[in-house]
Amino acid sequence: MSGKGARGEGLAASLGATGPTRVKLCGMSRPEDIETVNEARPDYVGFVVDFPRSHRSVASEELPALSTLVAPGIQRVGVFVDAPVENVARLFVRGAIDVAQLHGHEDEGYIARLRSACGVPIIQAFSVRAASDVACAEASSADLVLLDNGQGTGEAFDWSLVRGVRRPFLLAGGLTAANVAQAMASVHPWGVDMSSGIETDGVKDRQKILAAVRAVQAEGSKMGNSSASRGRFGIHGGQYIPETLMNAVLELEEAYDHYKNDPEFNAELTDLFNNYAGRPSRLYFATNMTADLGGAKVYLKREDLNHTGAHKINNVLGQALLAQKMGKTRLIAETGAGQHGVATATAAALMGMECVVYMGREDMERQALNVYRMRLLGAEVRGVDAGTATLKDAVSETFREWTQRIDDTHYCLGSVMGPHPFPTIVRDFQAVISRESRAQMLEVEGKLPDAVLACVGGGSNAIGSFYHYIHDEGVRLIGCEAAGRGIDTWETAATINTGRLGIFHGMKSYFCQDEYGQIAPVYSISAGLDYPGVGPEHAALHDSGRAEYVAITDDEAVDAFEYLSRTEGVIPAIESAHAVAYAMKLAPSMRPDQTMIVTLSGRGDKDVAAIARYRGEDLHE
Amino acid sequence: MSRIADAFAASPNGKAFIPFITAGDPTLAVTEKLVLAMADAGADLIELGIPFSDPTAEGPVIQDANLRALRNRVTTDDVFAMVERVRACSDVPLVIMTYANVVFSYGIERFAARQAELGMGGVILPDVPHEEKEEFDVPFSAAGLDVVSLIAPTSHERIRSIAADAKGFVYCVSSLGVTGVRSQITTDIGAMVSLVKDVRPDLPCAVGFGISTPEQAARMAAASDGAIVGSAIVKLIGELREGCVEPVATYVRDLAAAVHSAR
Repeated sequence: MSGKGARGEGLAASLGATGPTRVKLCGMSRPEDIETVNEARPDYVGFVVDFPRSHRSVASEELPALSTLVAPGIQRVGVFVDAPVENVARLFVRGAIDVAQLHGHEDEGYIARLRSACGVPIIQAFSVRAASDVACAEASSADLVLLDNGQGTGEAFDWSLVRGVRRPFLLAGGLTAANVAQAMASVHPWGVDMSSGIETDGVKDRQKILAAVRAVQAEGSKMGNSSASRGRFGIHGGQYIPETLMNAVLELEEAYDHYKNDPEFNAELTDLFNNYAGRPSRLYFATNMTADLGGAKVYLKREDLNHTGAHKINNVLGQALLAQKMGKTRLIAETGAGQHGVATATAAALMGMECVVYMGREDMERQALNVYRMRLLGAEVRGVDAGTATLKDAVSETFREWTQRIDDTHYCLGSVMGPHPFPTIVRDFQAVISRESRAQMLEVEGKLPDAVLACVGGGSNAIGSFYHYIHDEGVRLIGCEAAGRGIDTWETAATINTGRLGIFHGMKSYFCQDEYGQIAPVYSISAGLDYPGVGPEHAALHDSGRAEYVAITDDEAVDAFEYLSRTEGVIPAIESAHAVAYAMKLAPSMRPDQTMIVTLSGRGDKDVAAIARYRGEDLHE
Repeated sequence: MSRIADAFAASPNGKAFIPFITAGDPTLAVTEKLVLAMADAGADLIELGIPFSDPTAEGPVIQDANLRALRNRVTTDDVFAMVERVRACSDVPLVIMTYANVVFSYGIERFAARQAELGMGGVILPDVPHEEKEEFDVPFSAAGLDVVSLIAPTSHERIRSIAADAKGFVYCVSSLGVTGVRSQITTDIGAMVSLVKDVRPDLPCAVGFGISTPEQAARMAAASDGAIVGSAIVKLIGELREGCVEPVATYVRDLAAAVHSAR
């Protein structure tokens, strides 16, 4: 295994350095615990060795079989209580542990004997109840000290005692996903150690483990972001792009900051929205669906009735108008299924601008009609053969084109993603959805909805649907991701449910990627949700718990596609059908006096042939 | 001084020739031979690319090299292991070129520690501009390594603030667009370099993007402190595969001689 060589080297070398707070998850005793650990990817994993008094104890002869399951890159710590030196050394030499943690009455003589027996890095644990305990910890010759409130009893201790510690230390005792960020901000530990706080009824709990590691990484990464960085949503966002484009995005931000408050600009945009795109879109009470599901009243926000058949036009009209004010004469855009490309070509035709759309070669074949539509509207469509020849490659290629030609060209990005200021600009133009729906709901129901549902790929219709409710705490905000064939398979595009924190396409956010940060190919029946990342504001809404993100499979989405067609006489886009699918699960569990809004982001005409094929009919456009 | 800045100082005329190759293309074994052969042929500093699935700053030649290397399942750890083998017989100055997510995913600090252990000079990250640099620079500096700053023809007034914080050398991007061979470089390189030198007279500047001939390399080195050649070498490797080592060495020898004779 290539990663093995990296083991054991890290502890001593990284003690002096600043950097993200390390996470140690302790007290693993079952193979399924290790599976979760490998998924959560802490820096260290701990095993309590030969200490039967603890329910987490692992016998030293059973340890090698367990520790070999640990993924490369995660260091394995043996936790010992007054164990014979030879036992500790044997486990290290056999490669069953990378680090030894001493938790009993081991003294300096013991540490010296252990050092002469083998080169294992040593952590020594100290209970901290008084200032004198801190002095002992400072004097220890161990490589690292762990400060705890006692023998792993799991109660949090008075953090003020450890603030004065001058050497790097691991903080332990009563840490949970809920309090770890506060502990980190309060005492700046080198690392945090969690055990009882990630258990339920004495057993390691997968959800608690994942939440705890995410909480540490989120807090740590907030501290790690550059102070000069702009456009952050929590820890997410930023501007990770080539220097060549920096002045272009700075110029865009400056222009947007000016025009967003310009009454003339806003009047022009409102005119385009109302008289060209057909806004405001209807808030339609789905009578049949409500009666059939037998729970909450279901309202559909009909973005599918907009000109060009989707919410995409809201953003495109805003950006095209802004680009025109900036003196740009040419729009470039990426497209997946072709919806954003068609919308951009439409706006370019209306405003007399040149338009070039980048589209993966694969997608061009799957969506030949949209390619023809764009050409009909006067746009040039350029096929992208790079990489997987799908949406992410089209985004990459559009960025490449923009570095080549900036002066007269605006990149009309299609979702709430990319470098700042795109996630903010696109969100503001899409926020018209919730601005309207909030007023419409108050008018018909006299109260706010109990839940708002929308599908999430990059997340532009969802953020537009959520935005004006974010401060209405009683309104549940639910994003529906594409699970593809299931979130436990590789064929998925459910970024928040399966991805990890990363940096790609200009932003820090969650991405589907492998352990080395290579962006993963993603899959969904819906080309519009088939993207390996998610907008940074959604990532932040997920971190804070303000919005929920659920995963809907292809099967569920296709069922919902057919259900809405039959029940309401409305054929939804397969993207929007993901939100309809979750509404079908949620509405029956709600009371009849409750309401929900489901955003129908687009109409489904474009998907009819593909759904027919999914159902086994040989139908082609 | 940093290992990277030392590499400029150690060259015969203070000007560095810097070849770029993608690690793992066509194989890591060939990459290892190429590094040693290019060092022998006069390269002052070698830019080693860790492949990334979506190299957004690259033209088609280097994009393809990245994908070829990833098809060989080359990982960050494999590249470091290869450097470890190189270190058994050469102390040629090395800098890693890759994308932010490769370093971020590995752990920024862990990446820096591994590079330091291998006596490498630092990283060039084309998708980390000045505003986002600190996140990487703090851990790399702590390990005694440089995060190299880039300036572009569109940078204008930004050059001064970028230069003020730059470490190792300034990578001067010669042209708009992505990496790849260009018949002509029209940017006024001298003007960009002099903006850097106004702020940091001792900081080396090397020019990359578009250079393929010894004449271009000599001209760019004359206007700055060095020349970087990537796509032209990677193209040769892509065409000749296992048989590329000797021809690349010959090509690098000509380019290095041109840079070392520049005034």
